[in-house]
Amino acid sequence: MSEPTARILKRETHSSRAPLSVIAAIVMSLLAVYGLLETMLRALGQPPWLIDPPDAVRRISELPAGTTPVLLGVAGVLFLLLGVILLANGLLPGRRARHVITDNRVAVVVDDEVIAAALARRARLAAGVTREQVMVVVSARTVQVNVRPTSGIWLDESQIQAAVEAELAAMALDPTPTVKVNLANTGVIGV
Amino acid sequence: MNGTPRGFNRFMLVLLGLVLMVLGAALVALAAVPPFARWWQDWAGRQVLQLGGLAAQTRMGSGAGSWIWLIVAAALLVVVIVMVSWIANQGKGRTNVLFDRTGSADDDGAAGRVVLSCAVAEQALKSALVERSDLLSASVTSYDFRGEPCVRVRVLPRQGVAPHQVAGDVGALVEAMDALLGVEVPVLVSIGSGARVRFTKAERVR
Repeated sequence: MSEPTARILKRETHSSRAPLSVIAAIVMSLLAVYGLLETMLRALGQPPWLIDPPDAVRRISELPAGTTPVLLGVAGVLFLLLGVILLANGLLPGRRARHVITDNRVAVVVDDEVIAAALARRARLAAGVTREQVMVVVSARTVQVNVRPTSGIWLDESQIQAAVEAELAAMALDPTPTVKVNLANTGVIGV
Repeated sequence: MNGTPRGFNRFMLVLLGLVLMVLGAALVALAAVPPFARWWQDWAGRQVLQLGGLAAQTRMGSGAGSWIWLIVAAALLVVVIVMVSWIANQGKGRTNVLFDRTGSADDDGAAGRVVLSCAVAEQALKSALVERSDLLSASVTSYDFRGEPCVRVRVLPRQGVAPHQVAGDVGALVEAMDALLGVEVPVLVSIGSGARVRFTKAERVR
């Protein structure tokens, strides 16, 4: 795999953090524009709109006075939580629910939902049940196939497992997930 | 694969997160720890007095405020500009030149220049993909990835279509396009699902 392809695949399988960045930038610029308005009013010697900047600084310097401790504490906890959210978004890898299909010419990424739909179709054909009786959950390293058999009809778990594993092997995913088949204890009737 | 500044996004989020955490912790400490609150009032009170003195020294004539405010306003303006350019940089990086080469004497002696537009690759791939019945939609866009043009193919297959077969078919199309154009560009195939896929019938017969 060539170097630009590897970089492209790394970018496609990880989040760019663009939406949160845009929100943070909008909030920051709104705060800055408000500050700009108040400081310009002050510099031009006009009356303030909401609060005079020196007045605001003085109030902040006297802080526990002038508010109730509960309000102050709640605001602090809120800021702390927002900070933790931003920090986590900045530091965590942010893997997206996607897998890479190895190919020698093109770089291929597949949403996990597409893989799940294809595996569900394969499991449904192997088990001989309807679409509603199969549910597949795909995560980075595991594939969970939940099948609800039709009441009175015996299903072979190993056959479903083999069919799903064969389909997964044909996909050649990276990272390769392992398959787990769950047959429900109760069956459905009237399908 | 677009030009979103991912490193800068993460740096700014970490920075803002740390600032908010320090601010929040300080507010909680002010509310809950009386010695810290006393120290803060003492320290901040002295700073406010100094600032007041500075503002009185830097007054611009009678009636007007201090020019300190102009400096603060300029700093805030810089913040606004940085934020707007940060937003403007998200998701940019589209290009429309796939290949560009000037003929030279030591090549084949022909004068002139060959420019291939990205529309060539985009329309060739798109027209080959939209006629397939197992794909609900296909879109092809070109990006400039670190000075090199790259083609991104986004396809939305119907539910239940095997992704590796779609990938193999697109790969074969791309190889045919390589042979046709004589240039190989990096190609990304992104196979996804959207709301449109979820509310339509699954593919039963292929």
